[in-house]
Amino acid sequence: MAHLLEVTDLNVWFTSPGRPDVHAVRGASLALNSQERVGLVGESGCGKSTTILAMMGLLPSSAVVSGQVLLDEKDILANGDQSMRPHRWRDLAMVFQGAMNAFNPVRRVSMQIADAIAVRRGLARRDARQRAHELLEMVGIPRGRMDGYPHEFSGGMRQRAAIALALACEPRVLLADEPTTALDVMVQAQIMELLQRLCHEQGLALILVSHDLPLVAQVCERINVMYAGEVVEQGSVDQLYDQPRHPYTRLLLAATPDLDSEEELASIPGTPPRLDRPVVGCPFRPRCDQAFDRCRHEPPLLKPVGQGQAAACHLNDHPAPPAAPDSGQDTKVEASGRTDGTA
Amino acid sequence: MIPVEQPALVETFDEDPAPAVSASPARQLWRTVRHSPSASIGAGLLLVLILVAILAPVIAPFGPNTQAGAPFTPPSARHLLGLDDGGYDVLSLLMYGLRVSLLVGFAATLISSLVGTVVGIVAGYFGGFVDGLFMRVTDYFLVIPLLPFMIVVADVWGANLLHIIVVIGALSWTMTAVVIRAQARTIRERTFVRRAQAMGAGHTRIIARHLLPQVMPLVVANTVLNISYAIFTETALAFLGLGDPTQISLGTMIEHAFLRADISEGAWWAVIPPGALVAIIVIACSLLGRAIEDSLNPRLRTAHLSARVFRVRPTRPRNPGRTG
Amino acid sequence: MRRADYVVKRVGAAILTTYVAVTVNFIIFRALPGTAVTNMSHVPDSGLGLQRALAREFGLNHSLLTQYGLYLWQLLHLNLGVSFDNQQPVVSNLATDLLNSIPMVTLATVFSVLLGIATGVIAAWRRDTALEHVSVVPALGFYATPVQWLGMIIIILFSSYLPTTGRTDPYLINPTFIQHWADVMEHMLLPSLTLGLVLYGQYTLIVRSAMLETMGEDYVLTAKAIGYSNGRIVRRFAFRNAMLPVVSVIALSLGFIVGGAILVETVFNWPGIGYAVYQAVLERDYPMLQGAFLLLTVSVIVCNLLADLVYFKLDPRISAR
Repeated sequence: MAHLLEVTDLNVWFTSPGRPDVHAVRGASLALNSQERVGLVGESGCGKSTTILAMMGLLPSSAVVSGQVLLDEKDILANGDQSMRPHRWRDLAMVFQGAMNAFNPVRRVSMQIADAIAVRRGLARRDARQRAHELLEMVGIPRGRMDGYPHEFSGGMRQRAAIALALACEPRVLLADEPTTALDVMVQAQIMELLQRLCHEQGLALILVSHDLPLVAQVCERINVMYAGEVVEQGSVDQLYDQPRHPYTRLLLAATPDLDSEEELASIPGTPPRLDRPVVGCPFRPRCDQAFDRCRHEPPLLKPVGQGQAAACHLNDHPAPPAAPDSGQDTKVEASGRTDGTA
Repeated sequence: MIPVEQPALVETFDEDPAPAVSASPARQLWRTVRHSPSASIGAGLLLVLILVAILAPVIAPFGPNTQAGAPFTPPSARHLLGLDDGGYDVLSLLMYGLRVSLLVGFAATLISSLVGTVVGIVAGYFGGFVDGLFMRVTDYFLVIPLLPFMIVVADVWGANLLHIIVVIGALSWTMTAVVIRAQARTIRERTFVRRAQAMGAGHTRIIARHLLPQVMPLVVANTVLNISYAIFTETALAFLGLGDPTQISLGTMIEHAFLRADISEGAWWAVIPPGALVAIIVIACSLLGRAIEDSLNPRLRTAHLSARVFRVRPTRPRNPGRTG
Repeated sequence: MRRADYVVKRVGAAILTTYVAVTVNFIIFRALPGTAVTNMSHVPDSGLGLQRALAREFGLNHSLLTQYGLYLWQLLHLNLGVSFDNQQPVVSNLATDLLNSIPMVTLATVFSVLLGIATGVIAAWRRDTALEHVSVVPALGFYATPVQWLGMIIIILFSSYLPTTGRTDPYLINPTFIQHWADVMEHMLLPSLTLGLVLYGQYTLIVRSAMLETMGEDYVLTAKAIGYSNGRIVRRFAFRNAMLPVVSVIALSLGFIVGGAILVETVFNWPGIGYAVYQAVLERDYPMLQGAFLLLTVSVIVCNLLADLVYFKLDPRISAR
């Protein structure tokens, strides 16, 4: 079955004069099926935002990109900005982090949505305006407030309006970059619920980017874990929670607070590697409690470790190493990589 | 006042995984100057000009009071820029004039930057009543017209360099104050200042150790731009007859060129150089000052819209982190 | 109701500042030693009778406070004294001069604003390309030249093509309406050009900065994500928002243009306010000086107020406070 959207071996370098290039995304690959909801998780600076910006061709002119972005199996990245523009908003739409400033401050919100509909879908002005109101209603903006200016909207309302804007041209894929990070918890829950409902109703595929693993786990079916510019593990939510196959994933799970358990909260000591220098071996090695000799020289490749699960870790090729202190979860590494699924 | 956005030292919390090195503002400033072509040109020019000004008595071919020949003599090998209306060597006058103009420019700016920065920091940091008070005072200083003030000073106390310097300095600190105040207000809201306050650090300590270093680059940029303003003002005052009659400055040279029939005599060699030199000084200051200002504004770095677009490289394994 | 509040507050502040300016004017010209207190009555080429009359009219024999009160009272009646130069009321002199200045300054402003916006937008839009440097370098160059010097250079260059002195040709006898105004226009070209060139340079740099700022804003990225054409984004997102601070900065600078006009009018002998100031400075014609500077200061205050109000009106973020 063909993927709706597929990213293969994406590399992004940020150049600046007089400084070494920053290799922000180092060979990331992920896939998205129609109407599927996929999460992209990692800490600040791991390249997740850059990845989805690259998917829409929204990188600055200082960026250099290589790899493929396949939409319906056609590489839309091949000709850079030119080949990506036609698909923007009509196939791929985005909700940005901190949508506080996504709207033009000097134009009314409903008008801005109507503009997108009129210009990108070619509808008549009146129809566009009507559709804009419908969309705003769908996301829960009260009728009387729709024609206000962006600064008259609260943070939560602006985020909803940004979602309405994203749906304006009936895209097939919605890319949401930390859509709730700047909002308070109550509003967060509402927005996530809204996203889920809309994706279901409109038949949208979703890529949800966040540093918040539990949040992503609630909404998505599959998760990609990113570290230092590459995807280090991918699998279904169940697979990752029950059987993480990468030390980073394990530590991420251990680091998330669990109201029921009485275990101490573990944090991951250390910092990610600098990406303006070559990374030798496994990028996670300095912070890994199970690293061994091979990890020092050879970068691990993302390899399948089960049905629909893949991880980039040498441990999956080796028998269980000497017992290392783990953080309390049942994350024992399986002896010798199996290719069949393990529940 | 107009709520124009001021450059703010905002840390970029976005995804750009650049090395999180907390370089001191001074180090960042130096790096900016080194890597920006316009800043380097500006700084280089200024250095050359300052050098010439300092060494003028040594390198000028003739003294400023030495009559070297007949008035309005065209340029020759001996007098590269000819002689002016009084028979003085224009090239030498230019060097001495540069000396005086730069002196006025730097000295007046020293005053205006000092006063403006202090007022700006105090008003911006303390806010509230103090802020309101200082801003009222600033508004009132803004409306004191330079020219009549200078006329009165000239008539009552005499028009010498010192008075000119003081007048220019005393009436131009307001521009600096407004800019620094906006910056101080932004910095005051930042977490590390709040943290220091919460820990009980005194005001002086916070200002000296936290606020001042962050504000310094903007002060430097503003000072450099003020220098060109001061030199401009000196030329304007000199043109209107309010300069120091005992000194040769670039401004008085332009004034003489106008009043002493240089134009009708066709003596372009006496008319062009002084103004051109002023322009060069101002260009140098502008290049340097603006480059520093631009580097302080992170928004100016991220351009979502530009003529160029990102480049696509054919897929091939690459060494990461190679120098660009 | 909030809108009216803001307007009232700003107008009130402007009136207060005007009052302070008026007082400062009084202090500078009348109260400081060695100035008009002794000079006001020393009108050159006048008889003792006129001197005494002036002394009486301006209360020069009374205390400073009384003089101040008299000064304010006369100000409200638009009595600014009598010029030393032509013995005419300062107010009527100023009126004529102002009428002469305005067309020339307006032409310069319109030219510089239009050219400045065009080059500023181009410089920002085509950043880091050759076109940017072509736009910025001349702008910076003209901005950096002393305007009086630029005037002299322009005279040297164009003296054989266009008139470089005065407002009218003294040898043009009994001109028709059209001939007269054509003559005036001809004379206006070079001074306006000079002033305009220096101003345009400044505006280019301001517009460029403002555009660069808005081009880095999130809503521009969103517009790009929507897939709008670059032209549309530049016009409706970047430009529309950049013009907010630009308009107010331009309005602000209007107040100071009249000051710059002093130098231009002097170089070209254009009989406007600036030239009047120059003459008054040379001759120490204090009543004219005091009147002219009051006028200049008030125009700065008015332009500041206008700039605030215009910005207030244009920016929906502030008006709905």
